[in-house]
Amino acid sequence: MAHPYTDPELHPLADIDQVIHAPARLMVLTYLYVVESADYVFLMRLTGLTWGNLSTHLTKLEEAGYISIHKEFKGKKPHTTIGLTKQGRTAFREYKKSLQQVLNDLPD
Amino acid sequence: MAQQISLKAAERKAFRTSYDDGLWDILLGCIFLMWAIAPYLSTSLGDFWSSAVFLPFWALAYLTIWLIRKYVVTPRIGRVKFGRARIIKLAKFTAVMLVANIVAFILGLIAAMNFERVPGQTTSIIFGMILLIGLSIAAYFLDFSRLYIYGLLVGLSPLVGEWLWTHGYATHHGFPITFGTLAGIMILVGLAIFVRLLHDNPVPTEGLPSREA
Repeated sequence: MAHPYTDPELHPLADIDQVIHAPARLMVLTYLYVVESADYVFLMRLTGLTWGNLSTHLTKLEEAGYISIHKEFKGKKPHTTIGLTKQGRTAFREYKKSLQQVLNDLPD
Repeated sequence: MAQQISLKAAERKAFRTSYDDGLWDILLGCIFLMWAIAPYLSTSLGDFWSSAVFLPFWALAYLTIWLIRKYVVTPRIGRVKFGRARIIKLAKFTAVMLVANIVAFILGLIAAMNFERVPGQTTSIIFGMILLIGLSIAAYFLDFSRLYIYGLLVGLSPLVGEWLWTHGYATHHGFPITFGTLAGIMILVGLAIFVRLLHDNPVPTEGLPSREA
């Protein structure tokens, strides 16, 4: 069986953004795509991820330039707001398109 | 990954997570509670003042809910800024509700001026329809399906109240019984949702220093 990266028939699979493709990161990006920004607690509640898990995935997304993390203090408490960058928005759209293409091309 | 990613459903879930805390049910219940109590005060205060006296009560209820949201709900649920689509939807909702309220006010004024000539059942039907339409509009724009059920119950209340009153089972057009029951249902539903929210979402502390610091 040919590897998807070398098999031209399966080439669209290679186009899928692996940073986004992880279920947890996909979930985070999906929610960030439909809102302007959300804080750490809100994302945790929506995705059901733990603090540590969410932190790891956010770091990966931030390193890829897909999200921006803004830290501030509300009174004495630290507060982190997360939003999708322009690059992240474009990457998510591209991911959606690629995935749809792959799924559409699959035989029944 | 075969499941389709529904962005609309994700947005709706984000909106509901942010607002479905039961407190709006309680506020709505407080508003309808006034309709149950006001008829008893109308004999001593008159129709206008028996209703106006509840404005500070509503303001206090709203302030309490705002404070609870700020200090109890938000630390548990978090903060979110909604996107353009939701802001436009909320703006449309405000505009539609404004028009609906003006129409309802005019109809109410006409009904009040012809109070002696219009049969009680007709007034009840119109009143019930206005309430049903108003709450259904709110349910549609706010994505709160529970409001459709409230709308139906509130819409039926004047009719049921009128029936109870004409058959001698209730006083004051049945308002104290019907709207009192409704207010009780809404407040209880709201309390149940709020308590569940507190139970399911403790204030997060774990991991705060590593990420939030």
